[in-house]
Amino acid sequence: MFSFLFKKEKQLESLIYQYLENLGKTQEHFLKAMDTCLDDGICGEFGFLIEQTHKFESKADEIRDEINYLMYSRALIPESREDIMNLIEQVEIIPRIFELILHMIRTQKLKIPDAFMLEVKDLIRISVESCELMIRQIDLMLKKRHGIRALLSTIDHNESHCDHIERSLMFKVFDSDLDMVHKLQLKELIVAMGEISDQADRVSRRVNILTLKRRV
Amino acid sequence: MLPLLGGVFLGWSLGANDAANCFGAAVASRMVKFRLAAGLCALFVVVGALAEGRAGIETLKDLTAVNLEQAVAITVAAALTVSILTVLGLPASTSQAAVGAILGIGFFNQEINLAGLGKVLACWFGTPLGAVLAALVLYRILGALYNRLPISLFQSDMLLRAGLVAAGSYASYTLGANNVANATAVFVGAGTLSVFAAALIGGLSIALGVLTYSRGVMETVGRKLVRLDPFSALVVVLAGGVTVHFYTVLGVPVSTSQAVIGAVLGIGIIKGAQTIERATLYGILSGWFLTPPIACFIAMCLHFAMHLKYIPH
Repeated sequence: MFSFLFKKEKQLESLIYQYLENLGKTQEHFLKAMDTCLDDGICGEFGFLIEQTHKFESKADEIRDEINYLMYSRALIPESREDIMNLIEQVEIIPRIFELILHMIRTQKLKIPDAFMLEVKDLIRISVESCELMIRQIDLMLKKRHGIRALLSTIDHNESHCDHIERSLMFKVFDSDLDMVHKLQLKELIVAMGEISDQADRVSRRVNILTLKRRV
Repeated sequence: MLPLLGGVFLGWSLGANDAANCFGAAVASRMVKFRLAAGLCALFVVVGALAEGRAGIETLKDLTAVNLEQAVAITVAAALTVSILTVLGLPASTSQAAVGAILGIGFFNQEINLAGLGKVLACWFGTPLGAVLAALVLYRILGALYNRLPISLFQSDMLLRAGLVAAGSYASYTLGANNVANATAVFVGAGTLSVFAAALIGGLSIALGVLTYSRGVMETVGRKLVRLDPFSALVVVLAGGVTVHFYTVLGVPVSTSQAVIGAVLGIGIIKGAQTIERATLYGILSGWFLTPPIACFIAMCLHFAMHLKYIPH
């Protein structure tokens, strides 16, 4: 009834959902790019998907700027303003990691040896799943619905699993016959891949705290 | 009209200082623009003064019988007391200053309504305690309701913001209803104004203070309230309003600042945290005990000075 009084808040709500939708698309293109790269190597399709991922990442930056502009023009109460700005700051690290991984593969012309393929695919799959769950968790927080703790626990479980795969891959890489430069390149790539689930876990914990904080 | 200026000045300073207790949190946190807050506060102060100001006016006018000259001395003494204590950085209550000044003149007249005075003193002690209780009860009830509401974060934000505006308007209403007596009740006792005219002039004077000079105090007091979370700030304003309204019904003008401080203490009890610093509490207590005797003394001095006669040798 009084929605005209809260025009900025309505605008902000729609922008945050746009941001999350865009994050979903960035993640989708990152996954496609990684699948293409792992199955077919560095090809034209891979280059196209990197551009698509970059396009959605840039779009996310634009939306975030609009969100910040609205926040600075005093939409929402100060506490929520601070919480949402900090949360978005944390979330936007993830698309940056996606881009970093794809560019690392392209610029260093990285080839993943077949012996590590299955575990790398697993690492990517579980990391992206964690991001999907994190987006769902943020949506639940914004809608003040139940289920946040259950998602936190799944994301935490995924993070542990990713850590395990990461460590196992590291051992295999340094036990292999690859030359030292290739080993170090792969090490850097694996660490970056592991960072996705770590960051999703950090965001998830933050969302849980924000939810608890908002309970009276 | 000239003798009323003391009352108008007192009302003006009351509005400038006490509007912060109603809209300080909303303005300092930039949830509401100052103009809107001041406008709403001024409007509801006048409405409150006209609708429920009568009881307080009746109580204060009956504390002692005064003439117009004494009424002027009372309002000027109360205004001076509030100004001096504000300059000294001590929180002063206009209600205590007004009653202190009335007592000063009552001593001269050797006529004080002790039953009325006892009721007023009891209510002064009851104000912070009542506000603590109101904050405890309101926090529990509203908190339980708030947690059960099936609304999004954005809707809950809008609800809190709208709630703060509504609570601020209600607190403004109670400020007008309760405190209008401080500004103009003595003129009713002196036979200069009718109760309605006193409520209207007093209400308008407070509103003038709100509109012209309340911004600075709103920002300062508001920033202290904003340190609380938004829901607690809402409960503080509402509990302060409810407490002041209770004493309005009893017909006793009390301090809105003391009500708000009591409510902040109540929130501290619930959260198990120290919401008010010890130095602030000492300041409040010293202001509390100093205001009535200072106002009493100034009123007596003014009355004495007004009756000095020049006797040539």
